[in-house]
Amino acid sequence: MSNKINTIGIPTEEEIKKAQIDFSPRCTSAGRVNDKETQKMVEYILNFARKHSLFVLAYGTGCGAIEIPATMTSRYDAERFGIRGAATPRQADVLLITGYLSTKTLKRVIRVYEQMQDPKYVIAFGSCTINGGMYFDSYNTIKALDRYLPVDVYIAGCMPRPESVIKGFIKLQELIKDGNAGNGECYRDNLDWYRTNQQKIIKNWDFPDKYNW
Amino acid sequence: MEGIGFEILGALLTTILAFVVGMFFGGLNRKITARTQNRVGPPVYQNFIDLMKLQAKRTNIAHGFMGHVAPIWIIIAATTVLMFIPILHDGLWFRNLTFRGDLIFLLYMMVFGSLGMALGAGQSGNPNSAIGVSRGLSQMVGFEIPFVLALVSLMIQFQTTSIQDLMAYQHETGQWIIFANPFAFLATILSYLGMFRYSPFDIVGAPAELASGPISEFGGKYLGTVMTGGSIFTFVKLVLMVDIFFGGAGNFGTGFWGVVAGLVELVVKTFIVYLIPVFIGLVSPRFRTEQAIRFFWKWPTVFGVIAVLWAVFL
Amino acid sequence: MNTLTIILLILTIGAAFTYFINAVNHKLTAISAFVTITIATGYFFGLAELGDQFKFALGDFSMQWGLNAFSYYFIYIVLGLSWLALLYSIAYMEGKARLGYYYGAFLLTIAGMFGVVISQDFISLFIFWEIMTWASFLLVIYNYYYNIKTEGMKYMIFSAIGAYAMLTAIVFIHHYYGTFLIGEALSKGAFSFNQHIFIPIFLLLGFGIKAAVMPFHVWAPGAYAKTPMSFTAVFSGALSKMGIFGIALVFSTYYITHNAGGFIASQILAWMGGITAVMGTIYALIQTDAKRLLAYSSVAQLGYIVVGLSTGTKLGIMAALYLAVLHAAFKGALFMVAGAVEKQAGTTDMTKISGLIKRMPWTFLVALISIITLAGVPPLGGFVGKWLIYEALITESNNYFLAIVIFFSSTAAFLYSYRFLFGLFLGQEEEETKDVKEAPVTMLIPMLMLSFVSIITGVMPGLVFNPAAKAMNALGFADTNWDMTSLSNIWGNTTDLSLIGIFIIIVFILGFAVLTLKGRKKTKSVGTKDISSSGELWKEGENWTFQQDFFKPFQRAAAPLYKFDMDKIWSDMGNALEAFFGFFRKVYTGNGQTYAIYVIAFLAILLIFKDYIFN
Repeated sequence: MSNKINTIGIPTEEEIKKAQIDFSPRCTSAGRVNDKETQKMVEYILNFARKHSLFVLAYGTGCGAIEIPATMTSRYDAERFGIRGAATPRQADVLLITGYLSTKTLKRVIRVYEQMQDPKYVIAFGSCTINGGMYFDSYNTIKALDRYLPVDVYIAGCMPRPESVIKGFIKLQELIKDGNAGNGECYRDNLDWYRTNQQKIIKNWDFPDKYNW
Repeated sequence: MEGIGFEILGALLTTILAFVVGMFFGGLNRKITARTQNRVGPPVYQNFIDLMKLQAKRTNIAHGFMGHVAPIWIIIAATTVLMFIPILHDGLWFRNLTFRGDLIFLLYMMVFGSLGMALGAGQSGNPNSAIGVSRGLSQMVGFEIPFVLALVSLMIQFQTTSIQDLMAYQHETGQWIIFANPFAFLATILSYLGMFRYSPFDIVGAPAELASGPISEFGGKYLGTVMTGGSIFTFVKLVLMVDIFFGGAGNFGTGFWGVVAGLVELVVKTFIVYLIPVFIGLVSPRFRTEQAIRFFWKWPTVFGVIAVLWAVFL
Repeated sequence: MNTLTIILLILTIGAAFTYFINAVNHKLTAISAFVTITIATGYFFGLAELGDQFKFALGDFSMQWGLNAFSYYFIYIVLGLSWLALLYSIAYMEGKARLGYYYGAFLLTIAGMFGVVISQDFISLFIFWEIMTWASFLLVIYNYYYNIKTEGMKYMIFSAIGAYAMLTAIVFIHHYYGTFLIGEALSKGAFSFNQHIFIPIFLLLGFGIKAAVMPFHVWAPGAYAKTPMSFTAVFSGALSKMGIFGIALVFSTYYITHNAGGFIASQILAWMGGITAVMGTIYALIQTDAKRLLAYSSVAQLGYIVVGLSTGTKLGIMAALYLAVLHAAFKGALFMVAGAVEKQAGTTDMTKISGLIKRMPWTFLVALISIITLAGVPPLGGFVGKWLIYEALITESNNYFLAIVIFFSSTAAFLYSYRFLFGLFLGQEEEETKDVKEAPVTMLIPMLMLSFVSIITGVMPGLVFNPAAKAMNALGFADTNWDMTSLSNIWGNTTDLSLIGIFIIIVFILGFAVLTLKGRKKTKSVGTKDISSSGELWKEGENWTFQQDFFKPFQRAAAPLYKFDMDKIWSDMGNALEAFFGFFRKVYTGNGQTYAIYVIAFLAILLIFKDYIFN
């Protein structure tokens, strides 16, 4: 009886060479160049507004969502930073991936992410989004979130306490201030790469072909 | 041409005043809610930041022509009603269009915005929006009845349908209409709870229940415009209440400081009136729609009927 | 020959000609009907003048037809709306069977209405009334020619009751006042409530059934919904106004000439109108078929008009007359919209179709304008009518609670207005309506012209006020002054409509410019399937539009109101009468010996009681 760990999702060295697919993340916030479309002063003011008013989509994707009510309520009060809940992706800025994502949930999360409007940020909670965490050997959870969605901030922990969550939001605010957050355009530019990864893992793919139709 | 330029300036200044005060009141609402819940809460200027962020969204999504045009209807309704309500006592602030319309026109114009919003929400194709619209319209039938009863009682009592005459009466006799017909005030303030759509009547746009109802498909600049229209409308409703029942803003003499003092008094009075829906909303759970309609048809309507009888016989 | 007779002859001969030409060539039928009405309308508006009269004698009766300002006002509605409806019919009725029957009956109805409006004596009024009723009955059963359904029977029975009540009243008027002329009978006090109370009641029965006031409205929803839509535009727009014409003629003039007992009569009429408005609205909200919704809404709108008439004051009668014209415009347009949807998409059941806005944008525009007018929202014309009614009730006639009832009905009207627009045009598209095309141009032109009327009266209601003021003058009201663009009441408060209209247009243009131009490149227009549905995608053939039980919360809240079912009351009454008559039927046993006993018993009673009977 071999003690083989079920490693669906984590490619081996041979598979990487054979598939010739680059699994390293495409869209991160590290070291992005601030685009010079508008003047710096205007962008500075707009980023100030964006960082002090974050609408978080009210979507608890995994077990990490238990820490969100604690963050929003009286003791740890996230609202003083301007963070409030939004009911639909059309109104939301931030998508919180709170913990593990089964492939079933991943399909819905991708759809929700694509319905949000730019600039949109993804904050990944917990160890499961980094390397699979507690469910690293499960057959139907994903092991590394940034192959399927661009991530701005990771918050490590299992699960992170409200203080860590707030620290993560503050890190997001710093990224917004420097103009390094918001990977919507990058996602659209690298759509093929993301779609390949997504379709590998989601077996019953039924999205229409046109992006954000 | 100087007259027209002056009028346009007056209209713009009034709109900006309503916008700023309305947004601050929204922020104050969030602050008061937070403090009541023993936390710090966002700064009072938070609504402005939200608006800037929404307008600065890089992509916007609209669902067809009616969905694109719907937020404009709310702005039209809010600004049109604003033009017809006297802000300060006669002669101090810009007159706008105050002598050209009466209460019945205001009653109907207030509905114009909801109709536009409903059409935009319907075009989006989201069933939650349609359910929200049906609930909102049903609730509207509820709270309009005591409101109209109160206004009709005032019209009978003072033999006028214009707000200037009501304000003039209060200035001349020095008695606020709330003392002249207290039941009309009770009926109006109870129907205002429904109009503001705070708890317990917030089932129309409840985020957890209905995915925020009619505004569920609005984002970016459309949501920003809806928010702007909503704040102007808040100010409009409050000023209407203050003008009719609390004597409007006082007459502190002409000149710059007179105007400022009058505005300060207006803002203070509207804020005190605003606290009533805010505090009731803080502590109330939500009514179902039929419970809300039945509520409005019970005691508020009784108060309104008593107000009409009071006006006829006293 | 007199202008009026020529017009009547044109219409009747045109009706016969159209009927017979159908056997020759189907396509010519519609053209001939349209040409007839064009000639009649052109002739009327070109050559007829106020004060035209035509007298002739029919045996012992002298008939008199004439044109005064009051009739002229109603002929705007009759001929104008009929012309537009016949233009609409050309495309709407294309390809249907029995066209000669349809157009012939249509033209006869128009002739009947025209005759009712120009009659100045009761006999000709009654004759034309009957022609109008029977011709419209033929059209009500048009769709069910081989199987007359209940709706046709209900209409016929109620119209017959009304007509015979009217005939009884006319006979009584002649008996007590010796004249058939309307003008003379009015001045002799024929309609005062303190003498011969049943004359006004019977006349009210006759006119009220046609105007579908509660409790006689039960024929209206079915009849309006089952008739072909091009005729329903005239049916609810012009034919119901004949009832209003009668009530205005008989009751409103009465209120200014005799005041004794007027208060009770006006209250009864007012509350009948008020209850019609409320119950019509309540039942309109729960309908799922767009045609029935419009039918109930017609009943409710006529309630407003009756309330206006009952006040008897300057603003009230003006409100009634103004709403009469406006209701013809917007309700005619709405029925035409329903007909266009039915023709293009196959059904008007709102649970089956939705999302037609992209396919039929012009129809949607007409529907939008007409619905805004119906709801009474400024700046379109419906607001003026509502304003007049409220001012009449609050400032002039002191009927405050009725004002609240009317306001309740008006607010509830927003509900079904939205339902009509949402159910047919908004929401997600159905797969079956993929190939629906816009309505043909000859159907669009009348709809657009009617919505133009709604728009223009919103800013310049004086266009309708001036002819209506002349009509009120003819009825006996004092001369009044009406401003072209602003409204004022007796307390001196004015509402300036042109300013309001200009302001709204400016704000709309500014707002539209800002909203569209800002971020123009980055705005994407998505379809109705791309909605935030918790990340789910739709499956093929699914439609997520919310159509069933749209106003269930309101239904639950107002449940006691819904328990009142007038249909059931009438059918119960009918059954009770049938049982009662069944008892009497048993008198005719068919047995000769029983009849012999009847005769002998009768003779015996005569003999025994002859002293008492013959003294």
